[in-house]
Amino acid sequence: MLSIKNLQASVGDKAILKGINLEVKAGEVHAIMGPNGSGKSTLSNVLAGRENTTVTGGSVTYQGKDLLALAVEERAREGVFLAFQYPVEIPGVGNVYLLKAALNAQRKHRGLPELDAMDFLALVKDKMKLMEMNESMLYRAVNEGFSGGEKKRNEILQMVVLEPSLAILDETDSGLDIDALKVVSHGVNSLRSPERAMILVTHYQRLLDYIKPDFVHVLSDGRIQRSGGPELALELEREGYAWVGDAKNAGVVAP
Amino acid sequence: MNPFLAQCRASFEAQATQEGTVEGSQRQAEWTRFEALGWPTTRLEDWKYTALSGLEKLSLHHSIEPREAVKGAPRALLEGIPAPRLVFVDGMFQPDQSMIEGLPKGVHLRFWSELDARERERFTQKMAPARALTAFGALNGALFTEGIWITVDAGCALETPLHLVKVSLTGQRMSHGALLLESEENSELTLREHCLGSTDQPAHSNWVTAIELAPQARLTLVKVQQEGLLSYHTAALHGLQRAGSQLQVFAFALSGALGRNDITLRLIEPHAECVLKGMYRVADRALQDFHTTIEHDSPHCTSDECFKGVLEGSGKAVFNGRVRVALDAQKTSSRQSNHNLLLSDKAEVNTKPQLEIFADDVKCSHGTTVGQLDEEQWFYLRTRGIAADLARTLLIQAFTLEIAEAIPHVDVRAEVRRLLGGTVEENGHV
Ligand SMILES: Nc1ncnc2c1ncn2[C@@H]1O[C@H](COP(=O)(O)OP(=O)(O)OP(=O)(O)O)[C@@H](O)[C@H]1O
Ligand SMILES: [Mg+2]
Repeated sequence: MLSIKNLQASVGDKAILKGINLEVKAGEVHAIMGPNGSGKSTLSNVLAGRENTTVTGGSVTYQGKDLLALAVEERAREGVFLAFQYPVEIPGVGNVYLLKAALNAQRKHRGLPELDAMDFLALVKDKMKLMEMNESMLYRAVNEGFSGGEKKRNEILQMVVLEPSLAILDETDSGLDIDALKVVSHGVNSLRSPERAMILVTHYQRLLDYIKPDFVHVLSDGRIQRSGGPELALELEREGYAWVGDAKNAGVVAP
Repeated sequence: MNPFLAQCRASFEAQATQEGTVEGSQRQAEWTRFEALGWPTTRLEDWKYTALSGLEKLSLHHSIEPREAVKGAPRALLEGIPAPRLVFVDGMFQPDQSMIEGLPKGVHLRFWSELDARERERFTQKMAPARALTAFGALNGALFTEGIWITVDAGCALETPLHLVKVSLTGQRMSHGALLLESEENSELTLREHCLGSTDQPAHSNWVTAIELAPQARLTLVKVQQEGLLSYHTAALHGLQRAGSQLQVFAFALSGALGRNDITLRLIEPHAECVLKGMYRVADRALQDFHTTIEHDSPHCTSDECFKGVLEGSGKAVFNGRVRVALDAQKTSSRQSNHNLLLSDKAEVNTKPQLEIFADDVKCSHGTTVGQLDEEQWFYLRTRGIAADLARTLLIQAFTLEIAEAIPHVDVRAEVRRLLGGTVEENGHV
């Protein structure tokens, strides 16, 4: 589904990603962990297509296509979804409007008929139940005045409505209370299927208690320093990232 | 004398001789004042950023008949505008296209052309403060061909908005009209003013509006300029508010080569409230200029002013917001803001708040911003599959929508929202 080869990227003059290699197959869930500032969000942003991050080398293939050649919105319509670490507030643009426009843009791209207002509302209300969200949120501006946790929940609502093939969740768990974490995990798990893949960026094991990853990677200093199974996350929880420097010297590479 | 002025003079001379003596001398006085003020150039502080060199070169015809039969405004243009409505084409009233039968008893409508000499004198007196605002006001006094005088009786609340439609149809023409609105005690009216350009040739519309609100009267004026791309729009509005009256003025300048609005609202008795909100959308090479003044002459009054602008290409905008709080206007509450969105490096805005506060027990605030489209928001929308163009449109709309959302009348609000949005009206669900 996704093949990242020696990906290098910089913001301004600063090199941030220094050769990322990652293979994600359909049906898999990959967790990416790593210290603050190691480049996790930068990687997520490059995959989503943020323009201020310049790709300086390497390649990304998504479903056989050159992902980096696609415009931001084309990637979205092709099924790539990024749940933001810091969801953006957009005063004046209605939440319900965005959901509908997003869903219909994607359907149109796939040659499906657009949903009318009735069908759309039925669908979105259903998904809101799943996310245990109050319907009044639909009629507010996108993320405007939402609490930190509400914003994260809103990201996952968008995700379950859009049903992406590749979901990238950038620290969706941070800022969530214990109940909200369960609800959000439930939403994410409802999308797990053999055709879909997910990349979870997180700092904490507790998310991975709810969403079991197939692989765990440690990103540090712009490279994936170590990869392993779910047990790697537990080890990190115990021991932190102090070892990363050694691993770097030992030249451990991702599978 | 430039071609524009030569035509103005010709029109003035034709009318000054045609009419009776009192009126002739009034026109003469206004013409003299116009000449004394001189043609506005960028050497004058008030016109520093607004060059009229394009208008100067135009030789525009002025019809001095108040009701000359013209072919009328295109039906499609008037289609969505319900009764009661008054339609002017190229400055001339069009009885056939207007619909005024349904006006309630308490609303009186009179036309300048039908007034007797004494009434004309009163009308002229009441228009004077509006005409005094600019040189174009003086020009209006010398040249105007028709005026409307609307009076709303005490206690009369008109739920349905009254529409005033001014169409520039023929091109190569100028029009000078006058509107006098008097609201008696505790009355209520919404006036929706449509300024529509239906020609791709240059034209000039120069109207003057005077408003007087008696105690507790409520009036909302919603003006939208959709002038032709080569057209000029100058307008002066003067509002006089007595105790406890509420005036809300919304001004949207959506198109035209050059627009200049001079708006002065005077709060002359306690507890009067005014809202002055506007939005300008300036295309490449166009210019919109708002010069506003709010005069707090009396204690316990409030004013709430906000203008927002969106500029493209080498579009230019001028916002000059003067707020004057007189010495004894204690407990004044006044807010002013001006926010601008520049969509290009070549766009330019000159914004100047001008606060003159002489009272000491007041709450006054003002703020100005000039910025670009928020990249983060744009990126976010696109990551949801929204096309780059639509995302941009949505954000521009979101920026300006706030102004439309403040319009009290639900139908007018919805209509203006559509004008600002076009394809994305559902977005109003906020
Ligand atoms: N616009 C920018 N300008 C300058 N530096 C930037 C910019 N964006 C990111 N960086 C830098 O790039 C590095 C990687 O940032 P990134 O946000 O990818 O880290 P992260 O791994 O997601 O961290 P966290 O766990 O704190 O979210 C950081 O050192 C950050 O300061
Ligand atoms: Mg991050």
